[in-house]
Amino acid sequence: MGQIILGVGDYGASNRPGEEVKTFALGSCVSVILLDPKTRTVGMVHVALPEAAINKAKSLQKPGYFADTGIPALLNEMAKFGCQPKGKGMVVKLCGGANVMDTNDTFQIGKRNALSIKKVLWKYGMGAVAEDLGGNFSRTVTVSVDTGEILLSSPGRPNWKL
Amino acid sequence: MTEKVDREKIRRVISSVPLLSASATQLLQTTTDPDHDLQSIVRIVKTDATLTARVLKVVNSAAFGLINEITTLDRAISYLGERLIVGIAIGDCASQLFNKDLQGYEAEHGSLWRHDLRTAIASREVVTQTGADINPDLAFTAGLLHDIGKALISDYLSGTAAEIIAKISAEQTSDYLSAEEEMIGFDHARAGHELALAWKLPATIAEVIRFHHTPAAAQPEYRSLVYAVHLGDNIAMMGGCGTGADSMHYRLDTEYSEYLHLDSNTLASILLAVNEEFNKLERSFAEAGDTH
Repeated sequence: MGQIILGVGDYGASNRPGEEVKTFALGSCVSVILLDPKTRTVGMVHVALPEAAINKAKSLQKPGYFADTGIPALLNEMAKFGCQPKGKGMVVKLCGGANVMDTNDTFQIGKRNALSIKKVLWKYGMGAVAEDLGGNFSRTVTVSVDTGEILLSSPGRPNWKL
Repeated sequence: MTEKVDREKIRRVISSVPLLSASATQLLQTTTDPDHDLQSIVRIVKTDATLTARVLKVVNSAAFGLINEITTLDRAISYLGERLIVGIAIGDCASQLFNKDLQGYEAEHGSLWRHDLRTAIASREVVTQTGADINPDLAFTAGLLHDIGKALISDYLSGTAAEIIAKISAEQTSDYLSAEEEMIGFDHARAGHELALAWKLPATIAEVIRFHHTPAAAQPEYRSLVYAVHLGDNIAMMGGCGTGADSMHYRLDTEYSEYLHLDSNTLASILLAVNEEFNKLERSFAEAGDTH
């Protein structure tokens, strides 16, 4: 079975039957998963930081790294698969955004990532129908193109679905 | 019932591990001396043919993208910087530990080396980007060795991960470190410290290994470095690069702000730099035929 593996700051999409879209070990990073029922396309971006303003040059080179440039980049990518470019009709799910224990404001990157992603989605009139965010553990996420089913795993825990 | 571990048992495990090479030990001693120069590093590496070959392989790996091949040790060392020389030396002779499968932590193969390398890079970035008065190369080396104790106690922790996580979630125990102590009578920081003593590592590095989760307990003269590695460790885990089930199940000591001035923009910039540097270094080590 084919797999599209996404690293930090990567985005990708697939409509190939039998394929999976996967990202490993989301710590404070957040995976935005877009499912388009109409074209049966699955898209994902692995967001590491809330805003591209921190490093404009990097956001041009790797837009998926930041929430505010990553989501538009993913939508553009999915448009190549015939999806609606503004995300209309897509199902949104979010995973990741963990924080270390006893964190302070500075270290709440996971929480800030999730907030920034929700703000960007809101601009498109989109909102997550399901999310598995926060906590203090890392998540590996696998999405099936066939079923749109999202499988999460973390060492020392039984796998779960979203 | 899990087997309990005491100091004697840890010492027996340590005695079965190869010692650091003479050149690695000398490099660690020399680089922790604030008055050393680059030539003293060159002289040590020159005495070790295997290390010399590895240094040249790493510097000429495609990950560094050099147009002209570097053929002399002096140029290779000044290009890579002493932290990478120490990293190559330690990575080579302690590869049995770094490459150990941490079954007790339910970790993927190679997790310990990747986490340690990422922590090394992050600790150095914390020092440079906060402008702290700490030797950044020392932060790198200490970061590389901070979790070495996990390789010593992992086997004893087999089958405990789910129970430990449940206990932490139910707030029956404070964090993974205290859970290790409760489960087997020893934690990875203390185990690593025993190794530091056996290997006669410099006192600064031994202190980082011992107190990287409890930096406030470190000796005052080493405390800022210990905090830098404490943050580097957390930053590596936030980047999705832990050692398995224990990842992110440790407490951040926010008293770091007494020693390191870090705002959220600087932290974001550190996370970005760490990711870039990690991808490059991991590739260069792999291309150089490293077993990690």
